[in-house]
This record gives sequence, structure tokens and C-alpha cells, in this order.
Amino acid sequence: MEKYPGKPLSSKEMEEVTHEKWDPAVKYAWSCGEAMSRFLNELKKGKLVGRKCHKCRRVIFPPKMFCETCFRPTDEWVYLPDTGTVMTYSVSYLDMDANRIEEPILVGVIAIDGASENMGIMHYFEEMKPEDLTFGLKVKAVWKPEKERTGAVTDIKYFKPLEGSK
Amino acid sequence: MTFVDRIERPEDFRHWVGDMEAQYVYTSGIAGDKFFTELKKGKILATKCAKCGKVFLPPRMYCEDCFCELTEWIEVPNKGIVETFTVVHVDRDENPLETPEVRAFIRMEGTDGGFVHKLNIPPESVEIGIPVKAVFKKEKEREGRITDIQYFVK
Repeated sequence: MEKYPGKPLSSKEMEEVTHEKWDPAVKYAWSCGEAMSRFLNELKKGKLVGRKCHKCRRVIFPPKMFCETCFRPTDEWVYLPDTGTVMTYSVSYLDMDANRIEEPILVGVIAIDGASENMGIMHYFEEMKPEDLTFGLKVKAVWKPEKERTGAVTDIKYFKPLEGSK
Repeated sequence: MTFVDRIERPEDFRHWVGDMEAQYVYTSGIAGDKFFTELKKGKILATKCAKCGKVFLPPRMYCEDCFCELTEWIEVPNKGIVETFTVVHVDRDENPLETPEVRAFIRMEGTDGGFVHKLNIPPESVEIGIPVKAVFKKEKEREGRITDIQYFVK
């Protein structure tokens, strides 16, 4: 690189040369659409809802208004239990801001009972040791008190091992 | 069945509002830094290719035709020709302007380049090909930016 006249600049050096600083206001609104809106509103009531396709008979969860395998609209809303199976998981020793932490955060994908294969939601696991977390573990949702729910996926606080399973 | 059932309660639909952080600092580079530093002193500098003779304004470090480094710096006269222009009736937030303004590309004399800048000339008397010259801000008000040139006049 030395044969070229340029060089990397530190943040301080950047301020010393002529420069342009900008902080664009990049705001957006993202609509959840029909299926995801109902899903979130049902979460507020403490319920999980999926969408059934009458052609392939799959129960799609989280719900979608269109069946991607049959190329047709889905037909019916179905309520699902708040229990499921751990499909995959991670034991994270980094928090959301990539700081190192002593107590790991447990996250994973849960296949909800009654939904079709290869579908699920990602969530936290608690009330278990990292070494107890494994594929196929039966889990149950722990909900926030009704008053604290906002219609978000965090209305479920976390998933805990289903009693009697293991 | 229709694709979606008739929407009767649009308030049931949910949305998320977000705000992306996208701050940045863009440095003007070696040639740009020299250009803006000299502009602050009221001088317009360009670089000239020793091989093909092309004069770059704003100055570049390399000739885009010959791929050779440009080391010859020349001061160019403070005048040019309106090559093309637009009459602007709204500001950047699309609010109507009381008096329309003129933005033009000015081909600077003795160069193969020029600037997009403001013309302080009424729209009805602007024509492609008219000669114009730069008016600099007062020395104290200059910041080493392209706006150190206040505007161009006839």
C-alpha cells in the first residue's frame, strides 16, 4: 500500500481534514400485514394462532395468509397450545451489545405443538441450566401478566421445560 | 375465496416504527482536501494530466483516461460558461420558494470540469452559454466548503 499516497485516518484525523458530516433521518414504518397483526393481537390475549391450508393440510405458524407450497390463500385460523419442542438452540455468552457475560443467554427455535414440520418461533429459555437445553426438549411458554402484555412476541417471557418431560 | 377477506377494522393491523442510525463522516481525500483548503483562500485549483493535457476540476489524483498520477496543480481563472441549468421552485423539503432560484453546471475556463452551483441571476435572463464568474463569501465566513463560493453572477 505504501506506494500509494493515501492512508487510513483515525476519527480524530478525520475531523482535522476537510470533511462532510451527516446524520440522515432514516425513519421507517413496517406494517405487519393481516396474518402477523392477528398473531400479535392474539399474543396479547395469551393465545397462539396459526393458519391452516386446506389443500396441503399444513398448519402454518407463525401464520401466513398465503400458502407458499400450494400457491393459494390459506383458509382457516387455528389456535395452538403454548407448548412445543426445541428444534435448535444457542448458548450465548454475549449480550445484545456483544458484551461478554457470565450467565449465558439461552435462545432457540421452538416448534409449537400442532403446527406442521419445519416451523417455529425463536425465543428465550429460562428455568433450566445450559447443559439441560437439548434438541427435542419439551417446553412450555411462560407469559407476562395480562396487564403487561403489549401484543409483541415478548408477551411470552421465555420458555421453560414442560413438567414431567426430559 | 378472495385473496384476503374484506378489511373492516384497519386499526387491528399492527406496524412497527423504526429509526436507523446512519451517521457518517466523509473526508474529501488528498486532492479534495487541498482543493477545499485553497478554496477557503479564494483560489480555484485543478489538476492537469501531463500525458493528455486534460484539466480536472474538481481536482483528481489520477487521470481517468491515462491511469497516471496527476502531480501538476494549476490555479484556474474565476470564470466559466453556463453549460446547463435548472430553475428551482421548491426547497429541499419541497416547500415553495418565494422567488425561484437557478442552479447551473458551470464549465470553468481552462478546465475540462466545473461545478454545479447557484446562479444569482433572474431565471428569465439565464441562457446556456452565458459567461459567469464566482462570487466568494467574505474571507472570515469561509469554511473550506463548496459554499465558500456564494454564487455565480454574470
